Amino acid sequence: MKPEYKQVKRMTTFMRINHWVVAICMVAAVITGLYIGHPYYQTYIADPAVDKYVMAWNRWIHFMVAIIFDVSSIVIAYLYFFSRFEKPYKKLIPTAANLKEFFEVILNLVTLNRRKKFDSTHSDSFNTVFFLVFHLMLVWMLLTGLQLYVHGLASGLSSIGNWWPWMLHLVTDWTVPVSGWLIGTTAPTASIMDVRVSHHLTMWLILVWVAFHIYYQVWRTIYWKEGDISIVVGGSKFVKDDKA
Amino acid sequence: MADRIEGVKKLFTSKSARVDTNRGDAHYERLFQICQTRIEALKTQTPQQNRLHIDDLLEDQGISRRDFMKWASAVTGMLMLPSSFTPLVADAALLMNRAPVIWIELSDCAGNTEAILRSDGPKIDEILLDIISLEFNETIMSASGHQAEKQLEDAMHTFKDKYLLFVEGAIPMGLDGQYGTIGAHAETFYDHLMRISKHAAAVVAVGSCATFGGVPAASPNPTQAVGVMDVLKGKPLINIPACPANPANMVGVIIHYILTGQIPELDSLLRPKFAFGYRIHDNCERRAHFDAGEFVEEWGDDGAKNNFCLYKVGCKGPMTFNNCSIIRYNEGVNWPIGVGRGCIGCSEPDFWDKYAYERPMADANIKAPTGGVEKTVDEFGLGLLTAAGIGIGIHAAASLAAGKKEESGEA
Repeated sequence: MKPEYKQVKRMTTFMRINHWVVAICMVAAVITGLYIGHPYYQTYIADPAVDKYVMAWNRWIHFMVAIIFDVSSIVIAYLYFFSRFEKPYKKLIPTAANLKEFFEVILNLVTLNRRKKFDSTHSDSFNTVFFLVFHLMLVWMLLTGLQLYVHGLASGLSSIGNWWPWMLHLVTDWTVPVSGWLIGTTAPTASIMDVRVSHHLTMWLILVWVAFHIYYQVWRTIYWKEGDISIVVGGSKFVKDDKA
Repeated sequence: MADRIEGVKKLFTSKSARVDTNRGDAHYERLFQICQTRIEALKTQTPQQNRLHIDDLLEDQGISRRDFMKWASAVTGMLMLPSSFTPLVADAALLMNRAPVIWIELSDCAGNTEAILRSDGPKIDEILLDIISLEFNETIMSASGHQAEKQLEDAMHTFKDKYLLFVEGAIPMGLDGQYGTIGAHAETFYDHLMRISKHAAAVVAVGSCATFGGVPAASPNPTQAVGVMDVLKGKPLINIPACPANPANMVGVIIHYILTGQIPELDSLLRPKFAFGYRIHDNCERRAHFDAGEFVEEWGDDGAKNNFCLYKVGCKGPMTFNNCSIIRYNEGVNWPIGVGRGCIGCSEPDFWDKYAYERPMADANIKAPTGGVEKTVDEFGLGLLTAAGIGIGIHAAASLAAGKKEESGEA
């Protein structure tokens, strides 16, 4: 007899909208960011420059999606602690229960679903930690990106007021020595180039993260048979009645 | 622990490259008074040992008073002062022989000295560097050996706590500094610098080697060379990087010192903001081609013939702070991008390894933190992504096989 399934809500409407906004922003940021790092297509030499403006548009898109990304990050950081639906920070505290769940989920993955000794109805601590890594990488991209951006405001002026470059310097100047340390520079003094290398390298780490994220969600859907992939579309998954 | 707290403090209070070009009338009126008083005081002093007079020198070179005043107003602008300061700047230039300067060379190629000496024809900046009271400079002095050392001792004694010390070249710290020694007593460069800087009014590090270690400090840095700011503590220090440093900026620093008695406002890397507060990219004549996506793809192509942007052949203008796109070199004759080759970021730290590789950063070989295999960031990133893909593939295949087994077991 077929088991009865129960619908479990996992993502609010806002969380789902945010997910897709971030996903689209990321694709746009990668496409334009790779162009900024190394312009990989050419413009027609016969076209007058005024009709092209290709690098400028790439940078415009890159900055626009970055700002959307940044605002979304601030909201997500707030929701970590104050969400009324589910507070992710609770799954990050290394309590005995969370640690056990964390390793059980890893075991489930490496034993190819032979061992599944945790409750898969709610958000588990492994995935929460995995997302924390993602959020930390995003924060790093935000800070290094703004550090690179503020160099274009060298005059200290900006259309929205002088507080903006002032604040960006205050908040992001420390990424220069930290980038130098992260990429292991042997030079006595770190420089903007270290930030640039770090920003570019972190993009690849994020792409690796995305590859695993997509694979893992599809894998869960297939092997857990609980419809996990539909969480991000409809907001809920389906769990056997005896569990829910 | 105290070190760490200091480090964190430094991290969060580091000054940025912001340039405040308008500080209000009250500020400039006060500054004008200070400068005027100082200039008047200097006028009453007799010149130091240099008896050359700038008016004679200018006349000898066929430079008119009018040209000199045009230069003075340009320098006033460069120092970010209102035009009312022009007469003061001109006066300060005439009084430059009141500032005793000792110029020492360490691990370097004398390129900064050469930049001053070998310009196509001496222009006002270079002439001014002739009339400063240059008490000691190994490259151009006639004395040698013990005589030269005596000259240095005399200068240090006579102008104790008053002289400006110009340092050209990096300091090798490996082997207890014995990679570089100077004089009959084989004094190491480090000891040499420490001894002479002790009674200097201020130290000016000239060129990228003296500021950030430059080429001697490039990977693998066998002599463990460092810049002056890494070893010299407790002295006013001004960095004038670039390879070579622009004579205009050296003159600017000296004039600022004569005018105000103080060192100019510095950024977090101790570079004067009047010279290094601007990004090359933002004042570049090829900037429009950058925005349009018009790049030189290879040397000598149609893009190169049409003065397109040099970003794809490695120009580092977007990451480099210097005023050479504004004032250029050799009294405005030309500059690197003007002659059709990219900026190599010579005024930024570690430029030889991180900026001067003649291709965009994404294509440059970056040393792994372990010092091992050099890969570009993109090769390394693609490698990571491939490794992740292979891992995912193996897991997927294994899951598939395990899943089938399970099904057949159930049946």
